[in-house]
This record gives sequence, structure tokens and C-alpha cells, in this order.
Amino acid sequence: MVKKLLHNVLFKEIVKGLKTTFSHYFVKEVTVQYPHAKVPLPDTHRGALCLLKYEDGKERCVGCDLCEAACPSHCIRVVSAVEEEENEVVRYATEFDIDITKCVFCGFCVEACPVNALGMTKIYEYSTNNKRDLIFDKPKLYEIGDLAYQEAKRYLVAHHQEGEDEIASEYRYRFPSLHGEIPEPVAKVEPEQNTE
Amino acid sequence: MSTVKKSTTSIDTPDSEKKMATLTVDGTVIQVEEGSSVYTAIKDMGIVLPAMCYHYSFSPFGSCGLCLVEVEGKKNNVRSCTARAEDGMVIHTDTEKMEEARKKAVEKHLVTHPLDCPVCDKDGQCELQDMAYDLEVYDIKKGKRKVIPEDTRSIGLDFNMERCILCGQCINVCKEVQLVDALCFYKKDKKTHVGAHGGEALFCEFCGDCLAVCPVGAIVSKFSKYTFKPWQLKKTETTCSFCSDGCQIILETNERSIVVVTSELSYTNKLGYEVGPGDSHGGICVRGRFGFEYVQSDKRLTKPLTKVEGEHIEIPWFQALAQIGKRLKQIKEQHGGRAIAGLISGRCTNEAVYLFQRLMRSVLGSNNIDSAARYGHMNSVLAMQHALGIGSATSSYEQVALSDVILMVGSNLTETNPILALRVKKAMAEFGGKLIVTETWKTKLMALATHPLQIKLNSESMFIQGLVKAVVEEGLCHSAFSQKHPEAFKALQGALASLSKEAIVDACGLSWEQIVEAASLLAQSKRGTLIWGESIVSEVGAYDNVLRLIDLALVSGLFEKEGAGILPVCEENNEQGAVDMGGVSEFLPGQHAYASDDARQRFASDWHSSLPDAGEKGNGLSLPEMIEAAHRGEIKALYVVGENPLESLPTSMRVREALEKIDLIVVQDPFMNALGEMADFVLPVATFAEKEGSFTNMAGQTQGVSEAFDPRGEVRPDWKVFSDLSKHLAHPLLYRSSEEIKNEISQCVPGYYRSERPPVQADSYLQNDFVSEVTERYAQEKGRPQTETAFQLSLEQVLYHSGKLSTRDENLMGIYNNRNLQIGEADASAMGLETGDGVKLSSAQGTMEISVEVNAALPAGLVQFPVHFAEPPLKDFLVAQIDPKTHVIYRNTGPVAIESTKPIMLDVVPSKTETTTAASDTIEESPTEEAGSSDG
Repeated sequence: MVKKLLHNVLFKEIVKGLKTTFSHYFVKEVTVQYPHAKVPLPDTHRGALCLLKYEDGKERCVGCDLCEAACPSHCIRVVSAVEEEENEVVRYATEFDIDITKCVFCGFCVEACPVNALGMTKIYEYSTNNKRDLIFDKPKLYEIGDLAYQEAKRYLVAHHQEGEDEIASEYRYRFPSLHGEIPEPVAKVEPEQNTE
Repeated sequence: MSTVKKSTTSIDTPDSEKKMATLTVDGTVIQVEEGSSVYTAIKDMGIVLPAMCYHYSFSPFGSCGLCLVEVEGKKNNVRSCTARAEDGMVIHTDTEKMEEARKKAVEKHLVTHPLDCPVCDKDGQCELQDMAYDLEVYDIKKGKRKVIPEDTRSIGLDFNMERCILCGQCINVCKEVQLVDALCFYKKDKKTHVGAHGGEALFCEFCGDCLAVCPVGAIVSKFSKYTFKPWQLKKTETTCSFCSDGCQIILETNERSIVVVTSELSYTNKLGYEVGPGDSHGGICVRGRFGFEYVQSDKRLTKPLTKVEGEHIEIPWFQALAQIGKRLKQIKEQHGGRAIAGLISGRCTNEAVYLFQRLMRSVLGSNNIDSAARYGHMNSVLAMQHALGIGSATSSYEQVALSDVILMVGSNLTETNPILALRVKKAMAEFGGKLIVTETWKTKLMALATHPLQIKLNSESMFIQGLVKAVVEEGLCHSAFSQKHPEAFKALQGALASLSKEAIVDACGLSWEQIVEAASLLAQSKRGTLIWGESIVSEVGAYDNVLRLIDLALVSGLFEKEGAGILPVCEENNEQGAVDMGGVSEFLPGQHAYASDDARQRFASDWHSSLPDAGEKGNGLSLPEMIEAAHRGEIKALYVVGENPLESLPTSMRVREALEKIDLIVVQDPFMNALGEMADFVLPVATFAEKEGSFTNMAGQTQGVSEAFDPRGEVRPDWKVFSDLSKHLAHPLLYRSSEEIKNEISQCVPGYYRSERPPVQADSYLQNDFVSEVTERYAQEKGRPQTETAFQLSLEQVLYHSGKLSTRDENLMGIYNNRNLQIGEADASAMGLETGDGVKLSSAQGTMEISVEVNAALPAGLVQFPVHFAEPPLKDFLVAQIDPKTHVIYRNTGPVAIESTKPIMLDVVPSKTETTTAASDTIEESPTEEAGSSDG
């Protein structure tokens, strides 16, 4: 009876509660104060996709369409074309659209890319009032690529697609050069025909 | 041209008998022909051995090394494709040793093959990729790329020799199927290349079969290089829109345009597939494969246009159709249906032609309908209807390939109908058939023929008479003719007796023995085929010549023998269909004569309306009559679908003046053209890739046309325009789809879509008309007078183009845009001309300068120019002549004078001045008579 009265007078529950509360003054902070503070992301993070260029400023993408084929959510569209340069005929993408609203960030496209032209960055802030802005076209993808080149590169390294020290040119696709000179008259040959 | 390599596959002539050999394959005993390919034998058992260089359409080459088998008693592995079946062979196909050997073979190819699959157009349908995947070859230890620059010099095809696996299929298909032999292996910088002979830039027929058979991406089309991956494209099987061969093609499209055109040849699983002896190898020609750019041309019309104060302005469809409907109604009320005329091209679908003629006849009350068949094919149709009671070929493509004798008269088949030409080549090269080619100049097929007969200019008629005479007088006349119809036979004998051999020999420039040989080959053939083409049907005297050719077929018994027949060649893809569907004033659908009351009543009740009277003549106005009537101001409205008489007829017919007198001209065309400029309304319509329907090829087969993508802009298919227009007229023709029209045609013309055609019935003709006609037919000494001094200008079709349509195509124009006048070697040297020199060409119609090109195939006195190009306007130098019976307009040949504009060399002066003055003299006189008939 006295005990119960004492409890009521001294507000034991409140003291108990405050004890827990005040104890948290001495515990390390868990909440990150986004957007004032941000969580550091690992290199393998799958953020916004981007297109990369070589060090000399040439586009890596050859418009091979393998990313489109690999994409499980059908959000990539590639249109390729042929272009004649000084001494070679090259293939490049005239249009490259990624519908980010459909993208599931699986990273298959990056894995499929034979020339490491696609990368994933740590950028995740692209909310917008206009849904059309979320269809990333070729200029936008290159813009992201320029902005976050190092991040994309680290992503590729982390996924063992590109060596840390290797320069990207090692993966660079070499188009066959054009037939410049007219060859001198040549003898006709029949490669040996094997019957056995 | 190199000699034709005899095919080493089991097929010889279809009749020959073979010795059999017994093989044991994986424990199973089979019987095959001795000497046939072991690979084929194993394939027929249902065991598919991997192979990259094997192809069903030509002899095996044995370079890929994948089809290995183990033969007991032989130390080495055997390449089954080149191995010959011998009696008592014991073969194992699935041992572990073979697996390893095949793996090694793929590895060997991959060592030098570049890993540029990402950019390669063949990625995804590459046979090397498939083999590596199937045989699980994943790890290549020491790859060694051969560095070879890409050969991009050719205008159609790029050669990437780094990717080439040297399987030789491209070379073999060119040599054995096409008989063109444009490709070969050559060595350069110690590396083997594939390309044109001597390593030159390739210019060939560009059929693209090499492209189709290439297992890797070594040969690439320039027109779609690097622009697609196979899995991106939607494939639509349809019928080609260029010539009357009616090849089945596959349009590969993205959502907006055609990217590549392929055919069966690109897709057939070569390993498990074999074509029957008479089947096509599945290839297509340059027009079909590369001529797709016009469909997506920027010059296409997208909105209906109407003329307001001399300017075309865009208007909505409903307004355009309402206005056209209103004016047509007015004209019909004021002047009657006779004042309305319609023209339809030979490129519209059967359904469109059917609906057009129904619109004209039952709604507008006019039987003034004509189609592109009036430029030649009507001669064949009317002559065959008259004599045989049918209006299309009696032979089929399969029969052509299996013929033992083919007689081709006046046809340049390799240029006009290249895929039918392949059947002819197959009959000759693969089955050892006899090929007799008759033309006035040395065509490509004549160079290959077993019996090339180059006749003198304008002597076709005499030559055909000579053939008939030879058959009858050598006693080779088929019993079905001579015994069943003795009176006809007697009449024919009598008529032929009046012909002298000397006159024939003299006119043709051949010996009598040559004519007899050709005639007896055809008469004694088991499966003979008679083909006639352009130079017969579109040159003066065509109707009689076709009747003579039918006589030749009758006396040779071509309608009696199984597998024999006749095949008249027509130009545009659906000319036959246009005639069958009643797109000409003579016929109702199903080639029922319009003059027949029964037929007219039947169709009137089917269509719930009355049809215009047949009139005295029995039918409405044909194209030349329409123009005459327009000159007299009797035509008030002209509805033109895909045709352009302004460009196809010479100015001598004064088409422009005639058209200017017409109140209402409606043009329905995918493109703006000269006639469209004059028209009051221009309606944009779909091309073959954007519509459904069917085409009928020259052999009478009806083939489907499918929509590959939606029509661009506001473009509509033809049938929809007719149907929508009829809503504004008294009698609406309501259809929801082309399919509904098809169903209606199936009811009006039973069996049409199953390609069922009535049998040949020559009996009544032979008993009645033949006897009276034949005397006159063979009494005629010759068709046209031969002008000794003037040149004969002939507008010829070239392989790379078809009609005027292909000149809208950038790809085909890029391949062929040669506007030089072709002149024979003899003439050129007599006049001191070389390729590139200018000449002055003149006729009664005017004078122009043009550069010449020396062409060894042409005889003296003949010059040629592609009929497809409207510029320079060479057609205007000719005078059109109208056939009195069939009203066909002969507009492709005529006399001209040619004068060199080069500074004259002294030693050639006398002869040259003589010829040119003489030539111009004759010209001033000659065309005047003919001009009268055509101008009306």
C-alpha cells in the first residue's frame, strides 16, 4: 500500500522512461540527416545509368544493341547507324534511350556491354515533376557519364569488367580500315579442296 | 563466262536411272544412289551433322571441316559432304572422336575470326556463333586476328575479309545457281580474299545471294550496314512488288521503315532442308533485295491534295472524297457514265483492281477501264483467250525448271524476270535441258544457251513462221493436232506451203537447218516449254505473232504432254491479276468477256446493280481510245490509279493536250508525278509494304501481300479509298478489310485464290476460226519493213529497274543510273565512236544530244536505252502505234538517225556522211502514216 503510494508520488514510470530517453544522449547517432547529410555508397551501387567516352573524347558505344537484348524490363532502345570516318567505317548509336521509370537497376546492360560503354553511377537524385524527364536520351546519358566518370569506372572495376590500372583503350573496338589502294592484279586461287 | 560446273549432287536429269549403294550409318542400313553425297544420305535419315559450308542449292565444297564422319577402313576422318557413297561403307557419326574433331575445326576458324560480333550485322544469326555455342567451344587459347582492310569499293556490297571463313558458298552460289561467276578467291598480301575477278571493285547483278548464304558477316549490304541487329526487326512475309515473277520476300522492319529485305535463302535451315528438283533456291534479285528505299522516301505524299487556283493545297480526306464524289455524280448525271474513264496500274493488289472496276462499272456506270496490261500483255491474253479459251500461262515455274527443252522467243529474261531466268538456267545447267534463245541481240541468256539463235532485226515474225513450217514439214506435228483436227492441219499445211524457206532464211539470217533443229527439239520434247516476252508482245504485229506461237505450241503438242506448256512473260507484278480482276474493258472478273450477256447479267445480280451496256463494240474504251475520246472532249472525268500515261506514252500521242480537255482528273499514287501536277485531286496511297491483299504472278499463281507496318501519314490503301469514295456516290461499297473483298472475289471467281485455272480448250478454235484465219496469218510476208540505213532505237528494261517505280528508289538509282545510249560495236567502229562520246540523235520528232556506250551484245543498226528513265526523254523520239485488234500501244521501238558529234576523222568521212543523210531521209517519211492512227 505504502509502496504503491510512493510510486504514485514519485512518478516512477516517468523516471524510468526518461532514463531510457536520456541514456540516448550517450549513444551514437543512427539517423542520417538527408538531404543535409548523405550515406556513403559502395562502388558496386547501382544508380543512374550513363554512357562513357574514351579518354580522347570518342564515344565508346558501338550501337551493338546487346544492352537492349539483355534488358529484362525492355527499357532500352538503341538505333544504330553507319558513319564513314577518315580511314574507317564505324558503327555508332544515333539514338540511345533508357526509360528510367521502367528500369529495375539490375545492371545486366552494363554486364552485356562488350566495350564497357555503359556504367552505373552513384547518382540517385533525379526526381522530377515531369515524367518525360525520366526517359534518359543519348545527350543526357553522356552528360551523366561526364559528370560521374570516376564513379562509373569504379563500378566497372568493382564488377571485374575493367581492370583497376588498365586503360580503357584496351577494350576499345577497332573497326577494320577502309580499302584504300586498288590492289595490283592478282592470280586467282582455289583453296585446296579436301575430300578427306 | 566460264564453263558451267556440272552439279555433283545426286540429281541428274529427272528421268535418268541410278545405281544403288548400301551404306550402314550408325548401325542402320540404307540404300542410296551410288556416287551421291554421303552428307545428303545421312541428312535424309534425319541425322543432322553440323556444317557451315554445305548448302542445298549447289555442290559441296568441303572447306569448313565440320561434317566429319568416321568411315571404317579409313584412317582419317571423312568430310561427309564431299565423300561419295560407295557400296558397303560403314559410317559412324556420333563417336567421341568426331565430337572432338568437330570442336577442333570450329576452334580453327575462331582463332582467326575477329571477335567483332557487337558491331557485326550477322550477330545473332551467325552460323559460326551457333556452331561455337552448340559444340561448346568457349575458350580460344591464342587468337590471332588477320588484319585486312575492309573492301568498301563496290556500290552494293562490302567485303570484310577478317570475318571470312573461306567457305566458298558465295562463290558457288554465284557460279552454280546464278551462272554469273562474278566472285572468286584471290590472293593479296599472302591472304586469301573473296571478291570480283582480279581484285577489282565488284559490279555484278547484285542479286545478293552471296549476302544471303554467307554464314558469317563477311559480306555486308551497304544499304543497311551497321543499322540493325537481327533480333530488333519484325519479319513480314510478302510478295515482291517489282516484276511478274512474284518472288516471296521477307520484309524486315522496325516500327518506321524497312531495314533489310531477305528471302527464304537467308533463313532456311540449310542443314535439314532440301529443295525439290523444280523448286526455287529461295533467292531474290537486286530489285527485291535492295529496292526498298522508295517505301520510306521523303518524297512520298502523305496528305490528299486538291488544286485551288492552279496550286495544290492539302485538304482532309473526308473533304477530298466528298468533293470528288460530288463532281463524279454531277458528271454522271450530265454526261452519263461514258464520260468517265479509269486507269489502273499493274502494281495494285487484286482486291484493289476488283473494287476499282466494280466502282467504275456498277457505281459510276462506265466500262471505260484499262490497266498497264495494255502496254503489251493484253496481246498474249487476248490471243490465248481466242485460241485456247484461257488467259494465263499453262506452265508453272516448277515445270520450267524441269523442262527438257525451253524455247525462248524475244525475251531478255535475265533482265526482266531474273528469278524465272534462274529456273531456265537450272533446267539447262543442272538437268541438262536444251535451251534455245532467240533474240535480235545477244542477251545474257543467249550467251549461256545451248542453241543461241540471233536473228536479224524485226524478223521475229518470220522466224516463228519458220518454226511452224519446220515442225509441219518435217512431219513432227503432234498427233493430237494432225489426227484430231485434220481440217485444221490441212489448212495449216496449205498456208505454210505458200511460205518459201528462202524468204524465211533470208529474213532471219539463220540457216534453215538451225530453224529445223530448234523446231524439232521443241516438237520432240517430253516437257517442252515455250516462253515469249517483251520483244514479242510489245512490238508491232504482236497479236499475230502470239497466235503463231500458240500454233507452234499446238503443233508441238505442248498442251498434250505432261509438264509441257507455254509461259507468256509480262512486265509489272500484277498485270496478270489486273486482267483477271477485270481491270480492262474487255473482261469482267475471272476473264469473263464483257460482251457476253450472261456474264454481265450474272455480275449485275451479284453486285445488285445494273452494268453499262456492252455497246456495238462489245466493251468500253481502251487506253488509246480514251485518249482519242478525250481529244474529242467526250471524256469528262479520269480516275487514274498508280498509272501515268504522260510518262509512259510518247508525246506523239498528244496525251497532255487530251488530258487538258478533261474536267476532272483524280490521281491516286504514292508519289507526286507529272500527271499529279495536272490533277484536280491527288490522293496518297499505300505501297505494297503497307497494305494487305494479293498479287497474281505471270504463271497465274495468287500470292499474299502482307502489311509490314502502318501506312505513313494519312496514307490509305487503295481499296479503302474506293470504298470510302463510294459512300459519297449512289451505291456505297462497304468493306471493313481487304479480306472481305477477297471473300467476295472467291465467290465471283471460284478457285481464284487456290490458283485454279480453267483447262486449255483449243478444239472449238481449231474446228472453227483456225481454218479461216490461218491462211491470212501465214500468207503475210513480214511484219515491218526493214529500214536499212536508219538505226532502230529500242527502249529496253534493265535488271536494276522495274517500270518507273524503281527510279523513285535511291538504292537502285545508286546502283544503276546509266543514261548512255547503248550502241553495237560494229556501228561504233564504223562511226568512230567510243564509250563516252556524244552523238546527235534525231527522228521526225526532234533532235537531241546524248552520250553513247559501246555494247558488244548489240548488232549493227540497233541502239538501246533503258525504258525506265524519263530523262532524257527518248520515248518522245518514237511514234506510238496502236494494234488494230488488241489496242495495245507499241511505244518502245522505232527508227532514229544517229550522227557523231565528234570531230570527223578524214578516212571515215565518205561512208559516214552517206549513211546519216540517207537515214534522216527515210525517217522523215516513215513515221507519218503510223502517227495518224495513234493520234486519232
